[in-house]
Amino acid sequence: MSAAKRVQQWATFARTWHIFDCKWQDPYQSADLIKKYLMGMHKPIYHPMNDCGDVVVCINSRDIALRGDEWKKRAYFHHTGYPGGASWTLAWEVHNKDPTMIIKKAVYRSMKGNLQRRHTMERLLIYPDEEVPEDVLQNVTNQIRQLRLVPTRLDHIPEDEVRKFPKVMDYPKDYVYK
Amino acid sequence: MALLARTVQERKEGSTLVVEGVNVPSPRTELLIRAENIKDLVQPEGTPKETCYMCALGLDVKHTDVLILSQFVRSDGCMLPRRITGLCRRQQKKIGKMVSMAQKAGLMINLTPSFCKKDPKKRFGFKKFNSYFDETTIFQKKKLTPFEHIKYR
Repeated sequence: MSAAKRVQQWATFARTWHIFDCKWQDPYQSADLIKKYLMGMHKPIYHPMNDCGDVVVCINSRDIALRGDEWKKRAYFHHTGYPGGASWTLAWEVHNKDPTMIIKKAVYRSMKGNLQRRHTMERLLIYPDEEVPEDVLQNVTNQIRQLRLVPTRLDHIPEDEVRKFPKVMDYPKDYVYK
Repeated sequence: MALLARTVQERKEGSTLVVEGVNVPSPRTELLIRAENIKDLVQPEGTPKETCYMCALGLDVKHTDVLILSQFVRSDGCMLPRRITGLCRRQQKKIGKMVSMAQKAGLMINLTPSFCKKDPKKRFGFKKFNSYFDETTIFQKKKLTPFEHIKYR
């Protein structure tokens, strides 16, 4: 067995720790990606009865991005069990309360509801910002690639670069600057 | 051709205030990119011959491309009208929508009215959280006629 193959073997059978930066990521799209690592579906030895899932550490969950106006349109349902105990909470209200809950629920819902789901969820660690406990961070050996590019704000680009950027629009002759 | 634009200058001569419009050369003229100046630009099939400069370039502009979108707005973040941008009707609509997407996402926060808080995280309620947009939602998708439905099935 070559050295590369041996490492591959280790990586397959060991519980690897992955890190995922949620900054400007859609939680529902990234949930499908995180799920694969949590359940071990990226491994060749995957089987539903096989405990080969990895640990995923999600950071910056406060900075997730929802599409369009979903912050005020998406509602989370809860029922206390008593008559009239139903409540609907908007996504932005949930996120105000707990910035880790949306990504947690998204991953939870992306998996099939079976007895394994609760145990798989135990392997998902979510942190609202970049502050991760040292004992968690020292286990991390892999970073999951982000799905969406983090956009750059115009005021964060140096002024000189904005001025020298190639232009497509020019003002007409009689334009008065405003 | 050097394009000119005007600025309004105020100066004082003794006790009189002189307000005059001065012609100044546009700083953009030298950096301008036009499809006719690019030699090996391949037009996608089905492009009509007479197009506006944006259609001719065939750029895939996203709402996150703030360096391009900021060229079409005033200093307060308003989209410029079509008589100034010189775009075709479709492109004006598309760029205008993408400008508002970029503004809502807080990507052009320095090009906003003076009363703006200048920090997207200080916005009210749901507006303080990040949101992204899908450019395919700008125009309605072409609906297939009943005959075409049969053809593509």
